[in-house]
Amino acid sequence: MVSPILSQLNRPDGSAAYKCPATGYNILGAVNGPVELPARRDALKPEEATVEVFVKPGTTTAGVAERYVEGILRSVLGKVVLGREKGFPRRGVIITLAIAGGENMDRGDSYLTILPSLLHAALLSMISASVPLSMTFSAALFGVTKTGDIVRDPSPTAAKASVSLHVFAISSKGHLLLNESEGRFDFDTWELVHQRALSVCQGTASADGDVTMGEGAASASLHGLIREAVEDQIYSDYAYKLDSI
Amino acid sequence: MRPAHPKEAAQKPTNFIEPARPQPSMSSREEPLSIPERDFILEALGQNLRLDGRQFDEYRPLNISFGEEYGHVKLQLGKTSIIVRISAEITKPFEDRPFDGSFNINMELSNMGSPAWENGRSNDLEPYVLEALDRIIRHSNALDTESLCILKGVSCWAIRADIHVIDFDGNITDAACIGVMAGLQHFRRPDSVVKDGRVIVYGLEQRVPCFNDSKQVIVDATRKEEQAAEGDLVIGINSAGDVCYISKHAGAPIDAMLIVTKTNLAWEKVKVLNAIVDKALQADLSKRADFGMADESRAANDRLIQPE
Amino acid sequence: MASSATTGNPMPPSLSMPPSQFARLQPHAYLRAHLSPPSSDQPSVRANGRATSQFRVTSVNTGSLTHANGSAVVRIGDTTAVCGVRAELLHTSDISSWGVSQAPSKQNPTNTNEAKDSKSEDEDDQGQIQDLNLLVPNLSLSTGCAPGLTPGAPPSALAQSLSHQILSLLHTTNLVRADDLRIWYQPPNFDSEEFHNPGEGMEVDTEQSGGPEREIKAFWVLYIDIMILSMAGNAFDAAWASVLAALRDTKLPNAWWDDDNETILCSDDFAEAHRLTLRGLPIASSFCCFEGDAAAGWRANVIPDAEEQKKKKGSQQKWILADPDGYEEGLTQERACVVVDKENGKTIIVKMEKHGGWNVDSDDLRKLVDVSSQRWDDLKQALEQC
Repeated sequence: MVSPILSQLNRPDGSAAYKCPATGYNILGAVNGPVELPARRDALKPEEATVEVFVKPGTTTAGVAERYVEGILRSVLGKVVLGREKGFPRRGVIITLAIAGGENMDRGDSYLTILPSLLHAALLSMISASVPLSMTFSAALFGVTKTGDIVRDPSPTAAKASVSLHVFAISSKGHLLLNESEGRFDFDTWELVHQRALSVCQGTASADGDVTMGEGAASASLHGLIREAVEDQIYSDYAYKLDSI
Repeated sequence: MRPAHPKEAAQKPTNFIEPARPQPSMSSREEPLSIPERDFILEALGQNLRLDGRQFDEYRPLNISFGEEYGHVKLQLGKTSIIVRISAEITKPFEDRPFDGSFNINMELSNMGSPAWENGRSNDLEPYVLEALDRIIRHSNALDTESLCILKGVSCWAIRADIHVIDFDGNITDAACIGVMAGLQHFRRPDSVVKDGRVIVYGLEQRVPCFNDSKQVIVDATRKEEQAAEGDLVIGINSAGDVCYISKHAGAPIDAMLIVTKTNLAWEKVKVLNAIVDKALQADLSKRADFGMADESRAANDRLIQPE
Repeated sequence: MASSATTGNPMPPSLSMPPSQFARLQPHAYLRAHLSPPSSDQPSVRANGRATSQFRVTSVNTGSLTHANGSAVVRIGDTTAVCGVRAELLHTSDISSWGVSQAPSKQNPTNTNEAKDSKSEDEDDQGQIQDLNLLVPNLSLSTGCAPGLTPGAPPSALAQSLSHQILSLLHTTNLVRADDLRIWYQPPNFDSEEFHNPGEGMEVDTEQSGGPEREIKAFWVLYIDIMILSMAGNAFDAAWASVLAALRDTKLPNAWWDDDNETILCSDDFAEAHRLTLRGLPIASSFCCFEGDAAAGWRANVIPDAEEQKKKKGSQQKWILADPDGYEEGLTQERACVVVDKENGKTIIVKMEKHGGWNVDSDDLRKLVDVSSQRWDDLKQALEQC
């Protein structure tokens, strides 16, 4: 699995590049914050930070679908950012996500396939920008095929063929932060996918007691992957200190 | 806000009550340089020194790489870095030009490139760069739009170049121009049934801006140098050595002879830059060949044979 | 509002202002005071007098607009949405990608293989409707429907994202059948050479000139315009219900290809017009989650693990409110939306989403699905009455 790269860009406060190996989406995230937003003074909240998300599609101009996904991201990220920390109220945290690689989105396409990558890129950029967060999270996409199999991270074509698509974001503490499901399914199927999402994100023991390691031995869980990426970055950032010891 | 005369600036380099000069085009709403900082840059230039130790006519290291898809270019020019993506879709040609496809260049500056740029709002830099690119690439027919026709009056390809500025440190016009040209040469549109084809790109064109700074002219200015500059000069030359664009947009007046001498310099630079782009294309080609994409690479080979 | 406040919840005696002022000054505390039951055996009542899982009174009226092919007005409480469907013809000769994109996918030619058509009908439908943009919903928030909206402004982010949600739901539910929108033409069985006319837009079909094939000459494009006349929370439910009602009401005129004039003719006989045959009846129910602890977001507190949080459930800290009104939407961040359909009495979830917080867990969602399926029965009745 390609590890995400943090703090690659020079100008923004924080940035991250996240490439989803299965779907091929390559997202570049940048975060600036806290910054003054003089143009939107009346929209600013008096006691907390304003989180703004901007999604920039790779080969088109942003349209209604981007407004929608921005809304979802804003509501998830806005809840995770500790916007009442000192220096943050009445300021903005601006998150810009550019779809730098991967298939194009057509009008009316479901945005679910790209949502986990966008969430990861946004989270890592915020960590890179040292925005205080109450928790981290990880997200995964699942497709349920006609035969009832649950496929993790289906490719865009497989996603189109599946009966239902589910995106889950699970916080580092096990909360269900986000769920977006569409297609045709019943609640029991959803619950199965939910359990699978918990194990993929957290790497916890599944029902029969086995730790699910099937997703790749190096990073047993998505949380682990996120953590490793951040640890690697810290290690390289503080390399000068480590050398001098 | 009067444009300071170059002589005046040269005589009084430490005059800190001098009003800020109107910036001709670049770095809209960037944090302005402090007066000592600007004076430092100008004085250093007076002693034939640039902040990053380059010669006046030296480019920053140019690094081009291609993504997995055709027409996906990542370009770094020093600390300026951009991503260009070329895409194609089928549309109906314009009524008055039933044989022509269309080609458009899009650029939207986002908060990613510079904290000074606001998402979803245009700023002065955007139209300035797009205008230059439009003239250099589109209006000089670098791309043969007739080759994009599929069925007369019914369908044609619309090629679109999207430029994402992900890190801004001056000189986006050059970076974007090189990026779009490299992307067009790299791109292969999906084969249509009616007519098999590739995007025919005639020649590579480059732009070389020269920043005139109190009679010192430097090439490939960084953001800070741009902010301290008094004016700019843009020269576009295609790979055949023809000048297709000269723009002296705003700012201080320059000597007419300077344009002639700098055009020579620009031609030298175009040859160097062309070589870098070609090398990157070749490298990508052999990489693709290694992956066993024999078919695709054979088709891509054709592309290197440029007409004229 | 005042009466429900006093009966449901006696205010502290020290407070000497009317409840309506309290509601404005301390909205969070006001709503929480309402929701906290005085004794544990009594159910929570919301400030608007509804029970937590109670929807507002919904009324549907169809066919209100004369010039649209189908229209509906849906009113959920004080939220009112008007939807008009207008059908326009799209000739296949005008579709630039028609000849080109069709040919490469020879394994799935829509106009030659009828038997195959019906087998892979679902995917085929979705593909054609989506690729050719045959459904074009557009939602606008009219001036004055809510205090914050100024006239002349470009479509707000809310309006745009609602438009997208409706479009995406139309696509994922496959509500409209592509075959209802196709206008076929069966060429008469002349000698194929004589008939063959290499005219405009016909060249692509020449390779399949075995015999006169039935071919698609045009499509109906449905422009679905939704206007929110008054917004008092839960715009999506109202907008979707109005789309559904309007599509059920939509009648397309009988249209055919006239080979002599090389054009499409439409019958003006109303009796010949046909209704759309929709797939299922997906109905949306939206919810919001109100957090009891107003300070939760104020402090940079340590958030308990999901497991711990579950154990603490005894003391109720959250209320999930169905069909939130504007006041409640302003006080909550966590949203959930469930779209269900029923087939032979079995509930099928078509879309489920929740975001904006971490209080709603899978147990809650299970309950929401049950509430939504009850809502389906109610709304179905309302839709069928009109």
